[in-house]
Amino acid sequence: MLILLRLMLHRHRVLITSWLVLLVAVTGATVSAYQSTYPTAEQRRTATDLAQHSAATTLMYGNLADPGTPALMFTWEIGAIATILAAIMAVLVAISLTRAAEDDGTLELVRTTGIDARVPLRCALLMLAGVAATLALGCTGGLGLAAGHVDAVTWPGAAAFGTVVGLTFLIVGMVTVVLAQVAATAGSARLLGFAVVGAAFGIRALADTRHVGWLNWLTPLGLRATVRPFAENRWWPLATYLVVVAALAWFAAFLAGRREYGAGLIRRRDSRSTRLNIRSSLGLTARLARRPVLTWTVGVACLGTLFSAMGSGVVHQSQQGDLGGFLGSQLGGGNPVAGYFGYCGTVVGMAVTAFAVLSVLRARQDELGGLTDHILATGARRWKPLASQVAVTAVGTLIILVVTGALSALIAPTVINGPDVAIRAFTYTIGQWPSAMVAAGWTALLIGLWPRLTGLAWLPLIAGGLLALLGQLLGIPQSVRDLGVFQHVPDVAAPGPDARGLLILLTVAGATLLLGLAGITRRNITTD
Amino acid sequence: MHDWHQGDHMPQHTAIDVERLVKRFGTFAAVDGLDLTVRAGEVHGFLGPNGAGKSTTIRVLLGLYRATAGRVRVLGIDPAVRAAEINRRISYVPGEVNLWPNLTGQEVLDALAGMRGSRDAAAERRLVADFALDTRKVVRTYSKGNRQKVILVAAFAARTELLVLDEPTSGLDPLMEELFRRCVREAAVEGRTVLLSSHILAEVEQLCAAVTIIKDGRLVESGRLADMRHLAASEVTARLPEDRVADVADRLRSIGVTDPAPADRDLHISVLRQHIPAVLSLLVEADAQDITCTPAKLESLFLRHYQVTPC
Repeated sequence: MLILLRLMLHRHRVLITSWLVLLVAVTGATVSAYQSTYPTAEQRRTATDLAQHSAATTLMYGNLADPGTPALMFTWEIGAIATILAAIMAVLVAISLTRAAEDDGTLELVRTTGIDARVPLRCALLMLAGVAATLALGCTGGLGLAAGHVDAVTWPGAAAFGTVVGLTFLIVGMVTVVLAQVAATAGSARLLGFAVVGAAFGIRALADTRHVGWLNWLTPLGLRATVRPFAENRWWPLATYLVVVAALAWFAAFLAGRREYGAGLIRRRDSRSTRLNIRSSLGLTARLARRPVLTWTVGVACLGTLFSAMGSGVVHQSQQGDLGGFLGSQLGGGNPVAGYFGYCGTVVGMAVTAFAVLSVLRARQDELGGLTDHILATGARRWKPLASQVAVTAVGTLIILVVTGALSALIAPTVINGPDVAIRAFTYTIGQWPSAMVAAGWTALLIGLWPRLTGLAWLPLIAGGLLALLGQLLGIPQSVRDLGVFQHVPDVAAPGPDARGLLILLTVAGATLLLGLAGITRRNITTD
Repeated sequence: MHDWHQGDHMPQHTAIDVERLVKRFGTFAAVDGLDLTVRAGEVHGFLGPNGAGKSTTIRVLLGLYRATAGRVRVLGIDPAVRAAEINRRISYVPGEVNLWPNLTGQEVLDALAGMRGSRDAAAERRLVADFALDTRKVVRTYSKGNRQKVILVAAFAARTELLVLDEPTSGLDPLMEELFRRCVREAAVEGRTVLLSSHILAEVEQLCAAVTIIKDGRLVESGRLADMRHLAASEVTARLPEDRVADVADRLRSIGVTDPAPADRDLHISVLRQHIPAVLSLLVEADAQDITCTPAKLESLFLRHYQVTPC
C-alpha cells in the first residue's frame, strides 16, 4: 500500500505540486495588498459598505463580514477565488488518481501484482486526504506569516482559512471519486465533477444573495460562511464536514464494489453504423473536435453569460463612486460598462485559452500515441496534423467566443443600464480570440521545436491570468502587465478604438505557429 | 483490378534500398551502418531480436525519423525529402496499434481511406468479413487484436505497391495469423512488395523468399532463404542396428561429421548440406530405421547469430 502511494505520488507529482504552489502563492502573496490598498479604517468602512450592498460582488464572493478588516476582505475575495481553484484542482486530481488510471490501463498493471482490488481506491482516498492536509498547511503557513503585518490576521484565523481551502478540496475530491464510480469514462466523470463545482457555486451564490444562510451548509464553496475565518473561527463545522467526507469515502468504496473494472455504473452505447466522409487530416481533426468544442461552448457560454448578467450592481456602483479591492482593480478607471465587460472578457478569455492549449496539445498526445503515424502513413505532409489541430482549435475557439458573446449581448442589456451594452458585451468577448491564438501558437511552437517542454504551453494562460487578475492589486507596473495576453481588447464604443495590441497578438500567434510547423518537419515523429 | 504499376510511377527493380544507414539518438546508435535491399515484388523478412533497430529502420523508411547518415531510397524516393509521396504508395502496419477511441472501426477505415484518397471498397468489405471484424463497434471497446485487424484491413485494402509490416501479428490468434499469411501471399501474387519485420521465425519462414537479419543496428546476414540454408546444417535422426553403432560412428567421423557421438542406437546428428548425400547413403547401407532428415529451421539460423556465447 505504501509502495502504491509512492507510485501515485511520483506519477502525479507535477500536477499536484503545480496546483499546490499556485494556491499557496495566491493566498500568501495577496493578503498584504489589502493592508496597503486600504490603509485607513475609514477607507475600509467605505469599501466594506459598498461590498455589502452590492448584489454582484455578493454573488461572486459572498457576504463580506463586519468589521471589514483586511483579513476579512481577503477571506471574502481571495478566499472565493482560492476555494474555486481548490475545487477545480480536486476534480482534476481525483480523476487522475482513480478513473484515468483505469482508462489508460496503468491500474490494470498495478492490480496484476496481486494486491487486493480495493487497495488502489483506498490509496487514492488517502492521497486526496494527504494533498488536502498539505494544501491546508501551505495556505495556513502562507497566510500566518502575515500575522502582525496585516490587520486582524492571526494564526488561528490563518489555520481556519487554510483548513477551509483544504476541506473544500477534500469534499469536492470525494464527491468526484463517487462520480468516478458512476460515470462511463474518466472524461465524463471529470465533466460531472466540474458540473458539481458549478452547482456548488450556484448554491453558494443563491444562499448569499437571497440570504438563505443554511443553504451554505450544502455547498463546499460555502465553507467560508459557515467557518467564518478571522471572525469566529468556528471549528465544529469542520468536524461535521469530516464526517461527510468519511461517508462519501465509504460510499465511493461501496459503489466501487458494484461496478465493472474500467466501466462506470452508467453504461454507454458502444455500437453505431455511421460512416465518416472526410478527405484530409483536417476533416478528421474537425470530426474529433466536435464533442470537446460543444462541451466547452456550453460551459464557457454559461460562465460568460452568468458574469454578464450579474454585472448590474457593479456597473451601477462604479457609475456612482469607486470600487475597491480585487474587483475595483479589475475595472480600473474609464467607462464602467466598458470596464466591467473588459473584466468579463478576461475571465472568458482565460477559459477559451485553456481550451486552446488543451486542444493543440492533442497533437502531441496523438503523436505519442501513434495516431499521427497513421495519418502520415496515408501520405499527409509532416506539418499537416499539427496545422490541422491548430486550425480546428482556431475555429473552435471562435465558435465558443461567438456563442458566448452573442448570448451575453442578448442577456446583458436586460439587466445593465448604460451605453452600448450589447456591442460591448459582444466585442469584449470576441476580442479575446487573439489571446487564445497566442497560446495556441505558442503550444504549436513547443510541440514543433521542444516537444519535451510542452508543459510550458500553459505559460501564457497562467502568466497572463495572474497579470490580468492580480497585477494591479500587487502593484505590478503597467508596462509589465501589458505583456499579459488578456488585456488588449479596445473599447469599440469609445472614439478611435486602438486594435494594435490585438494585431500584435495575432502576429505573435502566426509567427509561433509557423516556427512550430517548421520545427515539426525537421524533427523525428516519436511514439512512446 | 489493381493498377498501381501504371500511371506516373514506373515499377522499380528495387523497392527499398538502404546503404550504410545510421540513426543516432544522442550518443546511442539505434541503427549503425545498416544495408537493406528489398527487390520489387518480393516478400522480404526483416528479422532481429527486440531492440535490434527494426522499428527504427522502418520509421526512417516512412520518413517519420530523420536518418543521421546513409542513403535511403524507398520506391526510388528519398523519404527525408518526399515522405508524403512515398507514404501514398505504402501501407504501414505498426506493431502497437492505437486508434481514435471514439470512432467506430468503420469510421477509422473511412478516415484512413479518405485521407489516402484512394480506396478499394470491395477488397475492404471482403477483408472485414474474412477477419470477422465488427466495424460498427467503437474502437475503445476493441481488444489489441481487433485494433490490429482494423489496421491490417486498411493496409491490405489500400491500393498500395509496398506493404511495410512491423511485427503485425503480435495480437492475432492462430486462425487470424493463418488469414494474415494468406493476405500476404495474395499481395505477393498481385505483385506488391512486402517488408515483414518479425521475430516469429515460422512466420517469416513460411512467407519470405529473402530475409535480412540484423542485430544491434547492424546487418548480420542477408539473402535468399534457400541460399542461407546452405550455411545451416540439417538435422538427421535414425535408429541403428545394435551391431553397427561403433562402425557407423567411425565412418561418420571420416565423412567429416564432427562429434556424432552415437553412444546408443538412437542417432541424432547435425549435418552440413554438402555431407547429406553421403550420410544418408551410409545410413541406408547400415540398415538404419526411421531415418529423418529435416532442413534447417530459421530458428537455428537465428540462434546461431543471436545466441550469447559464454566466455
